[in-house]
Amino acid sequence: MRRRRVLTALGTGAVAAVAGCIGDGDDSEDGGDNGTPESSETATPEATPEDNETATPEGTDEETEDSGSTTDGEAPTLTIGTYSAFLDAPSISPGGWLKEQFESEYDATIEWEAPENEINHYIERQSQGVSIDADLYVGINTDELVRIDEKLDDSLFIEAGEIPGSDNIRDGLSFDPSGRALPFDTGYVSPVYDSTQMEAPETFEGLLDEKYKGSLIAQNPGTSTTGRAFLLHTIDHFGEDSYLDFWSDLQDNGVQILGSWSDAYTAWEEGEAPMVVSYSTDQVFAEQAGDDLAKHQIQFLNDEGYANPEGMTIFNGADDPGLAREFMSFVLQPDIQGEIAKQNVAFPATDDATLPDGYNKLAKEPSNPVTLSYEQLQGSLEDWIEAWERQFISN
Amino acid sequence: MDSDEHNGADERTQQRQRLRSAGAHLRDTVDRWAFTAFGLGTLVLLIVVFYYPVATVFIEAVVVDGQATLSVFVEILQDPFYFGELARLFSGESPLAVASDLLSSDRRLGIVGFTAYQAFLSTVVSVVLGVPAAYLLARYEFPGRRTLRSLTILPFVLPSIMVGVGFVATFGESGPLNSALSAIGLPTLDFMFTLKAIVIAHAFYNAPLVARITTAAWESVDASAVETARSLGASPFRAFRDVVAPQLYPAVLMGAALTFVFTFGTFPIVLALGGFKFATVEVFVYRLVQDLDYAEAAGLAIIELAISLSILYAYLRYEARQSMDSRGAQPLSRKPLRPPSLSARSLLPRAGLAVYALVAFVVFVLPLVSMIVASFTDAGGFTFSNYQFLLERQAEGAAFQVQPWPAVRNSLLFGLGSLAVALPVGVVVAVLTTRDFRGRKVVDAAAMAPLSVSGVIVGIGVLRGLVFGVELGETRIAVGGALAIVAAHAVAGYPFVVRTVAPGLENLDEQLVESARALGASRTRALLDIELPLVWPGVVAGAAFAFAISIGEFSSTVILATGTDQFTMPIAIERFIGRRLGPATAMGVVLLLVTSASFVVIDRLGGEHRGL
Repeated sequence: MRRRRVLTALGTGAVAAVAGCIGDGDDSEDGGDNGTPESSETATPEATPEDNETATPEGTDEETEDSGSTTDGEAPTLTIGTYSAFLDAPSISPGGWLKEQFESEYDATIEWEAPENEINHYIERQSQGVSIDADLYVGINTDELVRIDEKLDDSLFIEAGEIPGSDNIRDGLSFDPSGRALPFDTGYVSPVYDSTQMEAPETFEGLLDEKYKGSLIAQNPGTSTTGRAFLLHTIDHFGEDSYLDFWSDLQDNGVQILGSWSDAYTAWEEGEAPMVVSYSTDQVFAEQAGDDLAKHQIQFLNDEGYANPEGMTIFNGADDPGLAREFMSFVLQPDIQGEIAKQNVAFPATDDATLPDGYNKLAKEPSNPVTLSYEQLQGSLEDWIEAWERQFISN
Repeated sequence: MDSDEHNGADERTQQRQRLRSAGAHLRDTVDRWAFTAFGLGTLVLLIVVFYYPVATVFIEAVVVDGQATLSVFVEILQDPFYFGELARLFSGESPLAVASDLLSSDRRLGIVGFTAYQAFLSTVVSVVLGVPAAYLLARYEFPGRRTLRSLTILPFVLPSIMVGVGFVATFGESGPLNSALSAIGLPTLDFMFTLKAIVIAHAFYNAPLVARITTAAWESVDASAVETARSLGASPFRAFRDVVAPQLYPAVLMGAALTFVFTFGTFPIVLALGGFKFATVEVFVYRLVQDLDYAEAAGLAIIELAISLSILYAYLRYEARQSMDSRGAQPLSRKPLRPPSLSARSLLPRAGLAVYALVAFVVFVLPLVSMIVASFTDAGGFTFSNYQFLLERQAEGAAFQVQPWPAVRNSLLFGLGSLAVALPVGVVVAVLTTRDFRGRKVVDAAAMAPLSVSGVIVGIGVLRGLVFGVELGETRIAVGGALAIVAAHAVAGYPFVVRTVAPGLENLDEQLVESARALGASRTRALLDIELPLVWPGVVAGAAFAFAISIGEFSSTVILATGTDQFTMPIAIERFIGRRLGPATAMGVVLLLVTSASFVVIDRLGGEHRGL
């Protein structure tokens, strides 16, 4: 009997849940993630006490200072989409700091959002005819821009226009020929090796040496940023007609291709191979963790590192493009550039960034940064990756 | 009852009978309506949070540029990259030529063929590692048995990133296994980057599934049937073979079928431990979706689904044929684990279990221990810093960041909520599909679809179908937030309830229910008071699975959540991954602890079934 009561209660629960979720949908008929009070709450240190009356749900704790709604006031909100690590990953997340700085200088509130599918989320919204609430996207790269332009009929972004500070962007980092995306930082992808286990080869060809058999772990170019950068680097070095031959030899020499950067790095740290494709800033993390730097050596092949500039760009349909442009200009300021590079453990996009002395001691920059341009990637990228996949699997 | 015949003396009796039967009829009607209404509610739920969202993606495989077409499938089927030698068959080559090439040593399996091959191997190993655990848990009594039983399905909820860390640390070149092997002078195992690594990781995930389902079936075996067989002169072996085993086969095969389906749709773990040379179908579905090649991605996912569903359908046909009448209920008594005598008959099975325990320790326990060790280790050795990070994030985290405690709380709330939905839904679907009607096994297989559809596709479908919603006139109806998450989890979890409850219901002696009905019990009452108690171990196992599915669910949750305050533990783990895995592993250990405690509680609340 007791059991029966329980089951009856569960039964009504189910019905309520169905009804509830449909009802819930009605509330957020704009279809966005942002219509709910919870997500439009932001930590605004300057908000006046009166603003605090909006109920804070339990669980978003007191440390988020206050949850004053500023939407009814004069301070406009800038909604910025980005990838989640920019906000949340403890080792590389300048998002919180950037928000604080911007809000202390401008009469505006930044609201971050990090959809799981990153830029694809916005592409999907546009192609399904659903409105986009974000004003800016931070963290777009060249191949994503190529993909967007290939798949969408209408432009997802608008031209940045004249942005103060953009003149200082370093040569070779600007990657958008249409001037929509401006780079704000860059990383370099290169092998990292354990010098207590091996002496690293200096060139791509050196990787094919018998003594490096089974020494390298890289990542799947179809699903990993570092893996893709490494593949593109080989295409840049050998050309699109010969890169597959190099990979065929590399595969014969026992290269291991794992799924993600963390898969590869974990296997490398456990000593499954002495060399891994990673970032040239590896020693920064190694020192923070108290690792032996001899086990974290950077090797730029042929003195080159593959640059992966990250860009920021304004959505077509941003509420206040003027404010968005102010944000871009703000990010390009020398001190902000330096701090973003530091907190994102990367390199500034401008040549006048203020960096702490000795920053380059641990964060290594290649003497020859290389990267494939938008035009080179356009129309070819997917074919290159698919050809690589098919060859690698069939070997 | 519509006879016009008049018989004065019996008039009253007849009238009373008429009244009684009218009352029974009314009750039956209400009862049937309640069942039907609940069935319809289930159908609506399934359509809204599963079939419709998935359809919004699948349609892209058959409608390209506004034209209905099958060309996407034709292209995939004829591509040797996907189908190996079979592709030539689809291209119209002679079956004989293809068959002879398939037998040659340098045959190409293609991605689909390889995926099926590794799923087959994983299934065999999962069954081999799962069944002895069921034997131990169902037949022996020892301290901690119930806790161990409730913890069996723990691996099921672990994110692949955790399993990857645990496995590399355990089985890697410098791991404890190889250190132990070389210490006793044995050759070390080359484990990483091999098919072995993938198969054993799949067994880590799925052997517990086989074990849990088989344990439930074993605990439902009626002891009196065995006693009858023994009293009729059957040897213990004979009694096992003729009475017990036939009741276990369906459970073992179901575990095997589900394992095949899960490992057929496997994704991140394959690339984490084996590498790209072992890429499966789902790897390409994911990559194609990333590149927005929806037509090919959907086509591939539909083929994947068709293969999975045909395996499940084949199993369901088998399950239906296995039907036997059981009055269930008096479970076999358990033997002490300590051998009662030193005879070979009591020592041999226990020695076998000791060997099994050693293997199980290496495959299941060591990786878990390695995960915990990893969370307490950095370059300098022992550290609390990863846990310190969790505390700091809890105290100082901003609204746009994931905080540990809300993640724990949400996981538990969503888990309980979806359990509350999945359990009744699963039981009703089990009752409906064990009724006799034409094509019921097809319906049953379709009801299993949430287990077999590519997770990547479900994610996109949920985004399109629910978060974006549909435009009706001027308004856009969209679904998101906590209730939608609970609904999505329930839909993902209820098939387990069906699968653990249906076989028991099917095997119940129909006369039991009929007698109850004749005595005036309504259909619902017969279900709740007679049938469910008889299959209770299955209900508890199904509940544990439904809860586990909810705890482990990632792709729908992260898309349906309206803010970081609705994120769950697996999402927190993923979001804490930066360039060092420490903080994520600490969150993983939190997940491990919270989930373990929950499983023990569910199992205790479910009670130890002792029959009627």
